[in-house]
Amino acid sequence: MKRVLALITLWALLLTGCGGAAAPSSDTQPGSADEPATRTVFAMDTFMDLRVWSDQGEKALDDAEATITTLDAALSVTNEESEIYALNHASGAPVLLSDDTFTLLSGALALSERFGPALELTVYPVLRAWGFTTSEYHVPTDAELAALLPQVDDSAVTLDAAAKTARLPPGAEIDLGAVAKGYAADLCAAALKARGVPAALLGMGSSTIRTIGAKPDGTPWRVAVQAPFEEGYAGVLSLGEAAVNTSGGYERFFEENGEIYWHILDPETGHPAKSGLLSATVVTEDALTGDALSTALFVKGLEDSVALWREKRDFEFVLIGDDGTLYVSEGLKDAFAPYGSWEDAPLEVIAYED
Amino acid sequence: MKTKHFLAVIALIALACLGALIVLRLRSAGVIANIYQDGTCIRSVDLSKVAAPETFTVTDKNGHENVVSVEPGRICVARANCPDQVCVHEGWVSGGTRPIVCLPAKLVIRLEDKSAAPGADAPDAVVG
Amino acid sequence: MTTKRITRDALLTAIALTIFMVEAQLPALAPVPGMKLGLANIVTVWALFTLGPLDALMILLGRILLGAVFAGQLMALIYSLAGGLLCFLVTLLLRRVLTARQIFIAGIFGAMAHNTGQLIAATLVLKSLAVWYYCPLLLLSGIVTGAFTGLAAQYLHARLAKSGSS
Repeated sequence: MKRVLALITLWALLLTGCGGAAAPSSDTQPGSADEPATRTVFAMDTFMDLRVWSDQGEKALDDAEATITTLDAALSVTNEESEIYALNHASGAPVLLSDDTFTLLSGALALSERFGPALELTVYPVLRAWGFTTSEYHVPTDAELAALLPQVDDSAVTLDAAAKTARLPPGAEIDLGAVAKGYAADLCAAALKARGVPAALLGMGSSTIRTIGAKPDGTPWRVAVQAPFEEGYAGVLSLGEAAVNTSGGYERFFEENGEIYWHILDPETGHPAKSGLLSATVVTEDALTGDALSTALFVKGLEDSVALWREKRDFEFVLIGDDGTLYVSEGLKDAFAPYGSWEDAPLEVIAYED
Repeated sequence: MKTKHFLAVIALIALACLGALIVLRLRSAGVIANIYQDGTCIRSVDLSKVAAPETFTVTDKNGHENVVSVEPGRICVARANCPDQVCVHEGWVSGGTRPIVCLPAKLVIRLEDKSAAPGADAPDAVVG
Repeated sequence: MTTKRITRDALLTAIALTIFMVEAQLPALAPVPGMKLGLANIVTVWALFTLGPLDALMILLGRILLGAVFAGQLMALIYSLAGGLLCFLVTLLLRRVLTARQIFIAGIFGAMAHNTGQLIAATLVLKSLAVWYYCPLLLLSGIVTGAFTGLAAQYLHARLAKSGSS
């Protein structure tokens, strides 16, 4: 009786009903230019939030969702039906891959070669030893790590472009998780553009954002950069069409004996990468490169990241140091504005020339 | 002391309390928390109209349980039986673009600020 | 302490405890923890005005301790003690300035003090200031319920004084 009364009172007090703009996409006006069609997709171990401004909105979203689900099914490391699972359990035999998977794998390996040794897709067995794949965290012993580290070597993965096959040395395992969401964003962007979508905002989980076209109201897209280990934003990026990727230790971590261990590992040591950065955000044209880059910069740290950037200048970055300093590359000088309490944080613009 | 003096003090306290109640509601004006289960909005809570803290449990057919706590102006996942506890670690949320997400339960809590003028400085997306 | 006094206080404790246990069975007034009628306070207020601080305090503590034991909630003991003692203190101070026709005022301030004491306890237990969101609501409800229990104590005081028993 007590419960029932309390519940009824609460119902009256708390509920306001799922109202218009709050309702799922099917109730909104997907045809209008101001009201985007929206879709949420749970895939690739994350929550995706897709918004499309187009009269083709729902169809475009169907395409995007299908693209994501197909890719997810092919790339999952745990799904026994997946191509990557097959590759990881082939005991050294070549495995035939689908076109998308092969394209992603060869693209990712090229990036890993460029950014190595900061990015190794074959670090998966070490990640598993730390429990980051299952959330059953523990600090592995030096002996455990020493046994696993020799298998961490992306250059040992061999591809046969003619046969569309890939081969791993026995014992090695690969996980495309570090680049899958970026690649999915690029594939979705292509699918949306094929539908003639003029504007879209693709949130592929919290660490990958891909914008398409210009915002319908003519203002730039405003993409906030999460403040590490706290609520709120460190700053906001005003962007046109771009891909924004962030890697940060705060995204997934555990504490043991007062020490914080996060999920981004330095492939050379097998330990969480402590390069002096709390997060690395990169702005790129394509999300695949950006996804790989954000991880690589986080592992490399400030100096090596700047050196890499000056080599080709094919990306821009916002790095947050563990002393709370914001390092912003020259190309984002005007696009990046610190937010809230971070307006007082030290900010260093990194120039193209030293 | 006369009774009316005491009554005046009591009336003042009562007025102050009423004022505080109104301010508490206005301060968090128009923030609505929409709770989605696998993409469907199952419940909306107007955080500005929450009179008293409240807790309720969202369950799904796979046995996932998320205990959602609501207080005037803010919301959080207080407890969950998911292994990663990401939703719980998110803590209290009172505004902003970043939703609370529990992947295993496919639960998303999004805040919608009805009081904010269109074109206000709220970002379109949060990365990180 | 005379046997008569012990017996009388024990009886009053039993009455307070009974009221307390019966009230606990009633449905909650509102989904706000700590918001309740506080009928057992009638006994405390009456005892304080009629019998004096020591007897009132013993009845109060006896009721709180036994109430927690019977309800089987040790956590509730902390809240009850914090609220009860602060309420007692405030009522005790007011007793010096209030006449027999103003006892209900002690009830009102006592109820507000009780709710404030519970908030302080909750702040310490939960290590969160969030509970103070309840404060305005709890004070308002304290005014209403306190006036009710205070008036009850006042009438009880008047009737029993007239009939000559104490």
